[in-house]
Amino acid sequence: MNRDELSAVTRRTFLEVGTAAAAAMAFPAGLFAQGSDVIRVGLVGCGGRGTGAARDCLTSSPGVQLVALGDLVPDRLSQCQAQLDKVASENADFASKYNVTAERTFTGFDAYEKVLAADIDMVILATPPGFRPGHLTAAVAAGKHIFAEKPVAVDSAGVRQVLAAYESAMAKGLAIGVGTQRRHQAEYLATIQRIHDGAIGDVLGGQVFWNQGGLWSRVKEAGWSDGEWQIRNWLYFTWLSGDHIVEQHVHNIDVANWVIGAHPIKATGVGGRQWRTDARFGHIYDHFAVDFEYPSGARVVSMCRQIPGTANRIGEHFIGTKGRSNGAGEISGSAPWKFSSPTRPRPPMVQEHADLIASIRAGKPINELKQIALSTLTAIMGREAAYTGQEMTWDAVMNADQSIAPPNVAFVPLEVPPVPMPGRTKLNRKWMEGWA
Amino acid sequence: MRRAYLSTVTWSLALLAMLAAPRVGVADARPVVQQAPSASYHEKIAGSLVSFEMVLVPGTPGVYLGRTEVTWDLYDIFALGIDVPAGAQGGADAIARPSEPYGAPDRGWGHAGYPVMSVTREAAEAFCQWLSARTGKAYRLPTEAEWTRAAQRAADATRLAAGRREALAWHRDNSTGTTHPVGTRAADAAGLFDLFGNVAEWVTTEDGARIVRGGSFRDAADDVGPGARSVQDATWNQTDPQLPKSRWWLSDGSFVGFRVARSVTPGDVWRQP
Repeated sequence: MNRDELSAVTRRTFLEVGTAAAAAMAFPAGLFAQGSDVIRVGLVGCGGRGTGAARDCLTSSPGVQLVALGDLVPDRLSQCQAQLDKVASENADFASKYNVTAERTFTGFDAYEKVLAADIDMVILATPPGFRPGHLTAAVAAGKHIFAEKPVAVDSAGVRQVLAAYESAMAKGLAIGVGTQRRHQAEYLATIQRIHDGAIGDVLGGQVFWNQGGLWSRVKEAGWSDGEWQIRNWLYFTWLSGDHIVEQHVHNIDVANWVIGAHPIKATGVGGRQWRTDARFGHIYDHFAVDFEYPSGARVVSMCRQIPGTANRIGEHFIGTKGRSNGAGEISGSAPWKFSSPTRPRPPMVQEHADLIASIRAGKPINELKQIALSTLTAIMGREAAYTGQEMTWDAVMNADQSIAPPNVAFVPLEVPPVPMPGRTKLNRKWMEGWA
Repeated sequence: MRRAYLSTVTWSLALLAMLAAPRVGVADARPVVQQAPSASYHEKIAGSLVSFEMVLVPGTPGVYLGRTEVTWDLYDIFALGIDVPAGAQGGADAIARPSEPYGAPDRGWGHAGYPVMSVTREAAEAFCQWLSARTGKAYRLPTEAEWTRAAQRAADATRLAAGRREALAWHRDNSTGTTHPVGTRAADAAGLFDLFGNVAEWVTTEDGARIVRGGSFRDAADDVGPGARSVQDATWNQTDPQLPKSRWWLSDGSFVGFRVARSVTPGDVWRQP
């Protein structure tokens, strides 16, 4: 495939009538109407999920082009290109949308700035979550539409930064979709609409789960600094992943907030590191259980575990005054109902991109950033209840002096923070202070 | 110098002698009383409590098939590296092990005694390699021809009569949408369980096509049986969020499992229990 040729054909024209700054201030509504203009997309974070998100975005909609790639390290970038090349070789529609030239690939800690400056309309942010607040802030400042993977922060300071970016994006009319794909999944949408319409009466509470086996890990290779190892092995460091209750279980916690229509005001929790004791697993926990209390008095128990060989359970369950539901296609009680669809719905991870792109084209940009920021803080509140062993209130966690990234995020020598210890770990924490 | 006088015939005899030697170790002194393969045997995985049974199936001459689909109990030893000593890097057998799945390949439906599911054909084949290395016997996936012969024998025809199907198979109308523990419907005439329904089963074909046979718990009753055959398509792993997609797990393949096969060899002799 000759990508330069495609580039010449599809290059958008509207930015030529004004400066980038002007476009950023008064962006989109109408500019993409009727699909007459190509939406140029850049990807920041070229791991397996970022590569998959780029594929999902291009698959979702006509008139989108992937034009720029950025990653911290060259090997991840070239692996991403190899995968996308392979998809393009097998799929002509995809090939026509895949238009990344060598001069629009970037590596290093500033790769995201270069992607944002590469004449794009939308950026996919799929790095480890610890980088997300900074990347969101920069993308909004640059006036770009955004697809951001979940979670969107790992600490209180990060959530506050993301909420500020949300307000700015609203003022600019930017569209922001986030990777909580259940919000775009037909079974969930139909069921939760019914719950909101009263199908199980008043929601009293429920349980949400993500119990599974272990996940991949990387041992440190020769030539890697501590910083490089921690970022490549990012699941296992709270400053990068938020711990698995935030990184993974936020999906189910987000469903609880969606069903109840609020965020919790209080959390009590337990957690620990029972199996995950090897140094390769950094300092995070491998299990949490948290009781969330909502303003209505509803209570949701959250449970998550990542230990190989243990029973799997991923999903939700809600109890109301008139029935119960799994939130995803089944309601029992006074108005029993089961989801059915005459056609197979699109995969939710494709649908979420289709919805985002459609909202841009319709001039009615969706902005999911606040809802995921609040669900991210909910998960952080659960984590903090377990880490500290204290009862956590929403206000305390939202306002905490908690900013846990190392002061110098670089390929440098780095310690591993201590394993959090209930009774000793503090909510107000820094890089190496307040952990135990 | 030895090579100079050892004729081809001598080599062949030596090989035959090696093949005929007991495979269960030198400590096994039980007398060999019959030079025909046993109708069935149990295979125990050393160091575990897990065993499974292989059955010589009439109609598939010279081939043993697993009496049941491979269970999670057996697959976990391979997938979780339960047989790998603590601290060792990978198996001493140097066989690749499955990646850690993102999510729940068993869908939380049940684990102990349930058939393994959501596995790619590569994973099933790697499992067979591992099992062969662990047991010293050459386990593999059934060929499609072997599976078909066993299935037609089991069904007494190319179609499965409704009454028999109900007795033998977990299908959409009786499964409540999940897999069930292996061996909880009736055995067929050859003594095999779940050849039809429960999980559809990987087989190998000469052209390398990705085929599962028998139908599954989610197929309509009429669509399970000896003729049931599905070719893998993009829907089987369409919600895998990663690119590349997993080579070990099928994110949407809850209906895909397998049973193992093994050719009878001269070492397969009946031993006095």
